[in-house]
Amino acid sequence: MTRLPLSVVGGYLGAGKTTLINRLLSEDHGLRLMVLVNDFGAINIDAALLASTDEDTIALTNGCVCCTMGADLFMAVGDVLDRAPRPDHLIIEASGIADPAAIANVARAEPELSYAGIVTVVDAGQIGGLLDDAQIAPQIRQQIGVADLVVLTKTDDVPGEVAALLAPLHPRAPVLLGGDRVTPLLLDVVPMGQRVTPSGHPAYTGWHCACPQMRDRAALQDKLERRPGGIWRIKGLVQTGEGMIEVQVVGANCELRAVAGGQAPGLVALGLADRVTRAEIEGWWSGT
Amino acid sequence: MASTTLFRCRRIITMDPNRPEATHVAVREGRILAVGDADCVWPDQEVVQDDRLADTVLMPGFVEGHAHMMAGAMWRYAYVGYHDRIDPEGVLHRGMTDIADVIERLRGHEAGLPEGQPLVAWGFDPIFIEGDRLGRAHLDRISATRPIVVLFSNFHLMCANSAALALAGYDRHSNIEGVVKGLDGAPTGELQEMAAMFPVMRRTGIDFRALTQRPDVIETYAQVCRRAGVTTATDLFAEMEEADVDTLLRVTGQPGLGLRLVPALGAAGGDPERIAERALALRARSTDRLRLGAVKLMTDGSIQGWTARVKWPGYVGGQPNGLWNTPPDQIFALCAAMQRHGVQMHIHVNGDEASDVSLAALEAAARAHPWPGARHVLQHCQMMGADQFRRCARLGVCANIFANHIWYFGDQHAALTIGEDRAMRMNAARSALDEGVRIAIHSDAPVTPMGPLFTAWCAMNRTTMSGRVLGAAQRITVGEALYAITLGAAYTLGLDGEIGSIETGKIADFAILGEDPTRVAPEAIRDVPVLGTVSGGEVHLL
Repeated sequence: MTRLPLSVVGGYLGAGKTTLINRLLSEDHGLRLMVLVNDFGAINIDAALLASTDEDTIALTNGCVCCTMGADLFMAVGDVLDRAPRPDHLIIEASGIADPAAIANVARAEPELSYAGIVTVVDAGQIGGLLDDAQIAPQIRQQIGVADLVVLTKTDDVPGEVAALLAPLHPRAPVLLGGDRVTPLLLDVVPMGQRVTPSGHPAYTGWHCACPQMRDRAALQDKLERRPGGIWRIKGLVQTGEGMIEVQVVGANCELRAVAGGQAPGLVALGLADRVTRAEIEGWWSGT
Repeated sequence: MASTTLFRCRRIITMDPNRPEATHVAVREGRILAVGDADCVWPDQEVVQDDRLADTVLMPGFVEGHAHMMAGAMWRYAYVGYHDRIDPEGVLHRGMTDIADVIERLRGHEAGLPEGQPLVAWGFDPIFIEGDRLGRAHLDRISATRPIVVLFSNFHLMCANSAALALAGYDRHSNIEGVVKGLDGAPTGELQEMAAMFPVMRRTGIDFRALTQRPDVIETYAQVCRRAGVTTATDLFAEMEEADVDTLLRVTGQPGLGLRLVPALGAAGGDPERIAERALALRARSTDRLRLGAVKLMTDGSIQGWTARVKWPGYVGGQPNGLWNTPPDQIFALCAAMQRHGVQMHIHVNGDEASDVSLAALEAAARAHPWPGARHVLQHCQMMGADQFRRCARLGVCANIFANHIWYFGDQHAALTIGEDRAMRMNAARSALDEGVRIAIHSDAPVTPMGPLFTAWCAMNRTTMSGRVLGAAQRITVGEALYAITLGAAYTLGLDGEIGSIETGKIADFAILGEDPTRVAPEAIRDVPVLGTVSGGEVHLL
């Protein structure tokens, strides 16, 4: 059975998690998303997109569904896995103080899930105060530290003082929630082994290799560990001397697993255009 | 005309200072018609004398102000805890003091299970077990083919045998946080936190939601309560979806349950306004047997898990301060909204920083939306000192103190968590009473077993498992302890006008005891036998 990709959206209260989720639900990405939120309060869907609503569920005409998760998040994840048909992608909104890694870790543990990243949303105006608050700063730092992608909200650029605050907490610079830069990254709209979908889009760098080969799993692992920092996503199948290996890279997370042969190999990579170029990716892959 | 039943008893401890003791109580339509001697009923009344309780001592039905409904349902799993426990059927399960005991006990359970059914156990706590850490290899000795899972008492950890690990595909190649590996690179069987536990739980059919708010679960909980002499019990963090409320109403409405249930809606995450609206909507559906409308707030974790938020100087082992489950400004927002809407709150506070922040939030809410009769309750209150209790008294905030911790975890607190000096003043019932705070004391079942007389014993004696007295200055008297498990706890639920003492007009809820707790030695009060309950006039003998 296809594994269900799981993304976690973390960030403190009021940081803009719901704004991001509203966009994920309503943008035209062609995926049937299932979103688990704490509360419907701020979910704001265009009436034209609403198919039905009840106390705990909003169904959209585009096939997306938004549910409250109830008291037991993990049991709710079990319910999602039992749904027929399964959604294409599961997104969980972590509560304001939660450690998103404690949730996303289930995607590594559960064989029927696949890890699709932690996005921590940071309010550019709020973050300074939060990191100054000794009572909660450790948990805020943790939320940022475990992120694969830090999204900065409520600003048009990255203020220098915010960049300075975030730099010690996360190796990659934050991205902005402006325009359409973020949601395609999160949703993993790159089907396995095919060409990069947001092709030609100026905001993204895409790269594709038709029949990637490596000597063995260790060599592949080593290569991936040295990938350019601007790559957000790599996925596909690589032929090695030890058989076919499936590669899943999301942000800082890299996962390899042996799979049955018989499928065509192929590898795709995706990153933000201002972070990485196709030549850099090509140079990394074909270099030694 | 409705019939009147006159119960004759060896003695009745009324908790009513106007008539502290009596021998007879008359009951009509589930309420107390009169209390006194054989002639307490007006002369022209038709009376049916009931002598079934003639050799017993009656007290007001005990009130458990902090417990969870899963206290009953856990018994569908095999118990492997360190302490002796009595199950809802009254069977004593001896505590297991080492891993060999645990394996021996599980072997017995395994032999009785149908083929293919996973063996699930609960209540294991490594803090009490010396020597080896429980691992896959121990459990594999019970069965190599049947999945076996041991849930730890804190529900944050479990241990699985090889068959259960295989269900989730956990092996030496797994590189998953929470899947603990040994020096040999293979999983030890220990799984930490829900993300790592979930794949095994899912494949062995463990669903925590099935341990609460289902008809059989409510009935088992009522059994647990009856054995403890409890006639009113809370379920302090209830989900209460629409279907759950229907079930609760139906089951509590059935005759013969013998329990008045007080669930508090869990207020975790989400919009405070919406939570307040839900609480008010629930309150409107209350019945005599099901009292709805309060909410439960979480703030920090637990002291023995090093997740409670503790003020300086923190944990003695140098562990980092604990975790907020609800951040301070959300605690403020929730307190403000509940206070404004007139919703009573039960607020979980273990560490003294959590109680400090919660009191500040309650003070702010009280200034913004004055409500003198709010009766919010701080729950656990384990590290609160006289200063914080003075703030409670000023606000009219109650304290429900976790007295059972002194016996169960007192030695560990002195040695491992907050050290001797702060452990001596933990669960400071004496300070709370001296500062004029309305208190209750509790078990937090299933964390510790439900038993108000045992809880009273803890607060009176402050003896730990090693036999020492931890903080003699914080002991309370038998009268204060018995008040705390009856009228005191009823007060925290806003039910002191209806239950908590045996006086004319109140509901006929009694605990039936084999001895008089006011006339036994303070060390013996936990051994006073509970023979059953009277709930709304209905006798439930064990």
